[in-house]
Amino acid sequence: MGNEIPKADVSWLAVIIMLFGLLLLASHGNELLKQTVIGPGSSAELGIAADCRADELEEEQLSLEECQLMVSNVRIILSSSPQWFRPYQQALSSLGIAATLLSLVSAFSLMNRQRSSLRLVVISVALLLLVDIAGFIAAVNIGPLLRAQYLWPLFLWISIHLCMLVAVIRLEQRGKMDS
Amino acid sequence: MSVTEDSLKPDNQKLPRVVVLLHWLVAASVFFLFVSSWWMLSLPLPSAEFTYRELPFQLHKNIGMTLFVAVLVMVAMRVRFLLREVSSSLGWLQRLAVWDHLLLYTLLTVCCLSGYMSSSYSGWTTTLWWLVDIPLWAAENDELNIVFSEIHLWSCWALLGLLLLHIGAAIYHGIGSDGAIDKMFRLR
Repeated sequence: MGNEIPKADVSWLAVIIMLFGLLLLASHGNELLKQTVIGPGSSAELGIAADCRADELEEEQLSLEECQLMVSNVRIILSSSPQWFRPYQQALSSLGIAATLLSLVSAFSLMNRQRSSLRLVVISVALLLLVDIAGFIAAVNIGPLLRAQYLWPLFLWISIHLCMLVAVIRLEQRGKMDS
Repeated sequence: MSVTEDSLKPDNQKLPRVVVLLHWLVAASVFFLFVSSWWMLSLPLPSAEFTYRELPFQLHKNIGMTLFVAVLVMVAMRVRFLLREVSSSLGWLQRLAVWDHLLLYTLLTVCCLSGYMSSSYSGWTTTLWWLVDIPLWAAENDELNIVFSEIHLWSCWALLGLLLLHIGAAIYHGIGSDGAIDKMFRLR
């Protein structure tokens, strides 16, 4: 009995870990996609004018100005990114995906209600928190136009993972005291 | 057990391992498809010079087609049970859960099919996971492309709304620790 976590503690935690895990998996996956698609030396950086055909504008329900600004948007990303940013983000997103998958596995193992699975949750959530902090530090050091897009979502993730980590550590401590 | 308690009693039936795995795979895919589609539509319109949309759109269509197959398998394995539940005398909460699932499957199917139809009428080719060329439904037709794009868009918004209800229900059962969510974590 001493090695089992009370069911009431496990169920909500597993659901929360799965929910945020799936959202974060999508977020890291999208970041990896972004960094793959928008690379230095591409058309937007070469100053080629946007190709805004009337039929495409109607189909996408866009104004001519919006269509032109889409190219500017890519230029903002490229000109705000230092040379190290793209490979750094690619590595960090890959690490984030791996850590998130580990947290999803930990949610499954948590449902077996073994105390040892709490340790796995602590490790995976701590890893996610480190990835968030590493991303935040990187975002602080990029251009202001891009920084504005990254900092707040990263701060939200840091807060979420901090709350989760503290909750799991407290559960683990309570289990030790009970046994 | 009182009538009220009975109506709130969750369905604790065991699910096949394949359904559990597909459920989480579909969930992960749907979240990724939402976030990536919101982003990819901000990329420059496609032309000979601007090819930024190529990879995200191909990936979107590939995941969408794979998702469609996954949903069909889930429906084939679950629909008989869900239809039986609809016709049985359940409490309002369980009835809502059954309808939520049926509607989720329907919207997922509509989203995938309308996306495929829209893509077909757009004239852009699709190669499933960069291996198999998928035939186009018909010749390029801008009007029908727009019609199916609208269906795709609105069915996806409806799906997102229903997903929030689904997530809310999962958290409700998780905090209540009534065993309803246990089956989604059972791989044995």
